[in-house]
Amino acid sequence: MEPTEETGEPVATDTAPPALEAVGLGKTYPNGTRAVSDVDLSVPRGEIRAIVGQNGAGKSTLMKLLYGLEQPSAGQLSVHGRRVRFSGPQDAIALGVGMVHQNLMLVPSFTVAENAVLGVEPGRAGRVDRAAAAERTAALAEQSGLAVDPTARVDTVSVGMRQRAEILKALHRGARILILDEPTAVLTPQETTDLFTAVRRLRDSGMTVLFISHKLKEVREISDRVTVMRAGSVIGTVRTEESTPAQLASMMVGREMSLDVAKPPARPGARVLRVRGLSGPAVHGVSLDIAAGEIVGLAGVEGNGQTELVELLAGLRRPTAGSVTVDDTDVTHLDAAGHRRAGIAHVPEDRLSNGAALDRSIADNLIVDRHDRPPVARRGILRTRRIRELAEDLISRYAIRAPHPDAAAGALSGGNLQKVVVARELSAKPRLLLAAQLTRGVDIGAMHFMYERLLEARDAGAAVLLVSADLGELLALSDRLLVIKDGRLVARFDDPAGLTEEATGLYMLGVERHPDERITAGVR
Amino acid sequence: MTSTLEPAAEQQGRPETQGRREFLATRRRTVVVELTMTVLTVAVAVLIAFLVVLATGKDAGGALDALLTGPLERTPRIGRWLADATTLSLLGLSVAIPFRARQISLGAEGQVYAGALASALVAINLHLPPVAAVLVPLGAAALAGGALGAVPGVMKARLGANEIVATLMLNAVVVRVFDYLLTDHLKAPGSSAVQSAPVRPDSALPLLSDFFQVPLDQANIGLFGMLAVAAAVWFLLARTPLGYRIRITGSNPDFARYGGLDVPRTIEWSFVIGGALAGLAGAHLALGIYGGLQPDMAGGLAFEGIVVALLGRNNPVGVVAAALLYSYLRVGGDVMEQQTDVGSDAVTIIQAVIVLLVTARALPELVKRYLARREAR
Repeated sequence: MEPTEETGEPVATDTAPPALEAVGLGKTYPNGTRAVSDVDLSVPRGEIRAIVGQNGAGKSTLMKLLYGLEQPSAGQLSVHGRRVRFSGPQDAIALGVGMVHQNLMLVPSFTVAENAVLGVEPGRAGRVDRAAAAERTAALAEQSGLAVDPTARVDTVSVGMRQRAEILKALHRGARILILDEPTAVLTPQETTDLFTAVRRLRDSGMTVLFISHKLKEVREISDRVTVMRAGSVIGTVRTEESTPAQLASMMVGREMSLDVAKPPARPGARVLRVRGLSGPAVHGVSLDIAAGEIVGLAGVEGNGQTELVELLAGLRRPTAGSVTVDDTDVTHLDAAGHRRAGIAHVPEDRLSNGAALDRSIADNLIVDRHDRPPVARRGILRTRRIRELAEDLISRYAIRAPHPDAAAGALSGGNLQKVVVARELSAKPRLLLAAQLTRGVDIGAMHFMYERLLEARDAGAAVLLVSADLGELLALSDRLLVIKDGRLVARFDDPAGLTEEATGLYMLGVERHPDERITAGVR
Repeated sequence: MTSTLEPAAEQQGRPETQGRREFLATRRRTVVVELTMTVLTVAVAVLIAFLVVLATGKDAGGALDALLTGPLERTPRIGRWLADATTLSLLGLSVAIPFRARQISLGAEGQVYAGALASALVAINLHLPPVAAVLVPLGAAALAGGALGAVPGVMKARLGANEIVATLMLNAVVVRVFDYLLTDHLKAPGSSAVQSAPVRPDSALPLLSDFFQVPLDQANIGLFGMLAVAAAVWFLLARTPLGYRIRITGSNPDFARYGGLDVPRTIEWSFVIGGALAGLAGAHLALGIYGGLQPDMAGGLAFEGIVVALLGRNNPVGVVAAALLYSYLRVGGDVMEQQTDVGSDAVTIIQAVIVLLVTARALPELVKRYLARREAR
């Protein structure tokens, strides 16, 4: 840090060249995908620039080009007025460009300080001076306002601190331009606030920050200007203070759209899911009912048993006690196939790990639950025409942006891949839908689409268990809301209308708790 | 992509069909590139072998000539080529199926001997009516190979054993048992060499020489059987639910489990089917090539099957093509050894280079990158 630099004014001066400038930047992948085309971008020194756009709009690719992870197939790049050509991230780092990835890349068994200095260790060559590393890290943390414990092992600290360690790592390497790729996706609200404070402080010391996000609220809070991308191109750049959320949203999706969900009241029918005293890994004695035609939300701080509960209900884990029935079918001891036969569909929380086979075609991904029965298979033979028809139908009904049913699922953007998963699960016409993180990493347009499909499924008589880290989403969609903490249900709201995020947070954090009688009322 | 003023146009109609056309064109191009790459991979391997021979100061030109044109010069050599390609294709296919389920089965060696043993035992000892005399030994070979494949399959799928270790160790056991049975129990009484009694004439695979009236060495109708098997494997993988399960399990086992597929059973089947095909390769050796059992009759072919599977990208058509190409080089190597002072070890160099190039996927990546760069300009 050089504290003598001019501070405060986040606007380009005519004299200084922009910190980062791209002219006509384009990237076409070998498979023909044009991820970014003809992008002009100019970010003055000392500005916080947000880059927003839908999934697949080209934000990540653009950042990879700016950080040297990918090489552009067209266009020019300049850093501080100097034409550059990055053959790899090491070139970018040498010119003071640092990047903090969405999936943090640290060595878990190293301390925060060791990670921060990794690759550019203080001390003589061949030796790592741990004390100097810790000192350096502490000094950087002090200057930048990024509080970390330099001597703590990374695998023992919070995600927030890991992220701060990653930023310190970039600062240690002399970054003057910092790229933050969806930094708040993994943070709690308090951590987000702290991060923003630190980022502003960095900006005020002359740092240029590129902030990738699709959360408009945060973008408006942190950035000086916003650049909107759509379909691989820059649509425009606006001053944050002069923009409105609706304007930004319309720039992102190319049409005016409302951000709220129109939700007709639920008309719950007969009980579909009956869970009694269910225990398993990280889940303790959970009892609940879900009726046909209602969405039951499950709120909780991540890591409090939601994942395990959903996987127990999907048949991916075995319970140690309790029982689960779906429409009078006892599925407690059945495997995943048995659960599916009983009418359970499951949108998994991490589509990349088990929601899709990325190197297989979209069509293959759409038939996994029905590949061995009519109409997909007959007499032990796959009917390719039927599969193709089914895939074409789902692709058009779920507005999946894909060139062809035979295209690899892995070539789709996050939102479109999620649509493939949702299309498959909903087209199975489930009695019970387990929807975990339905809209994680999905842009506004697709988010809306998911909400509509979810309500459609509910109104068609499906019982829905919705798990989400996005409390706003849970409050907007749930007909009833349950809160889980440490694997136990701690609160139940039969009418969540009017419930606020803050009020729910108190239960999630264990400050308040409903009596057991209220949680299990009617569940006998 | 550039006209962002009309977002509606993006949603419907033309750009979509254009995207589809582009996708199909890209896919066609990929097929051509892949094919070219395979041929080029072998060509580069041959070239490197050529350079090595050149460095030893021997007659590299003559050696290369013998290697590349030798197999076609006389019909018996063509026959040897086709017979070798038949065994090698079956072995390549036998490896390719577990590979598709992401199982690295190295058990073909043991399965070949099990298949040879089973088919020969039936073909030597049982008196059967004409067509059954061929089919029953083949069935026995497939069963024996499949049963032997089931062992590591179950160990991997149910017990979590490492399939590479399991198959390799099983090979060691089976080959020793084969040698023991052959030398101590099956050796033909009158013979001085260690070999079994010949199979009954009815059970021997009919030679192609008899159909075409030209000497084609040991090439037999097993060639057509192999083509039928390759077609069946293609059908299995592309058009049956089991093949689908194998593909999905190989792509992402967690997704397969989530989707309700029986992953352990799928893995077992991939081993069993692979084993059955290797068993058939053994039967081809016993009934078609040697007409009985001999020690070391597979002669390292099992592992060359892995090279062929790699080169053919585990695609049944590709595997057969790769086997034809590879066997050609093997026969050419023998010709080279006979006619020049260059040993067939040069073929080993070719094999090693192919394995390195294919596993590293070095060539295709380089060429694709070049094409993409040229296109982007």
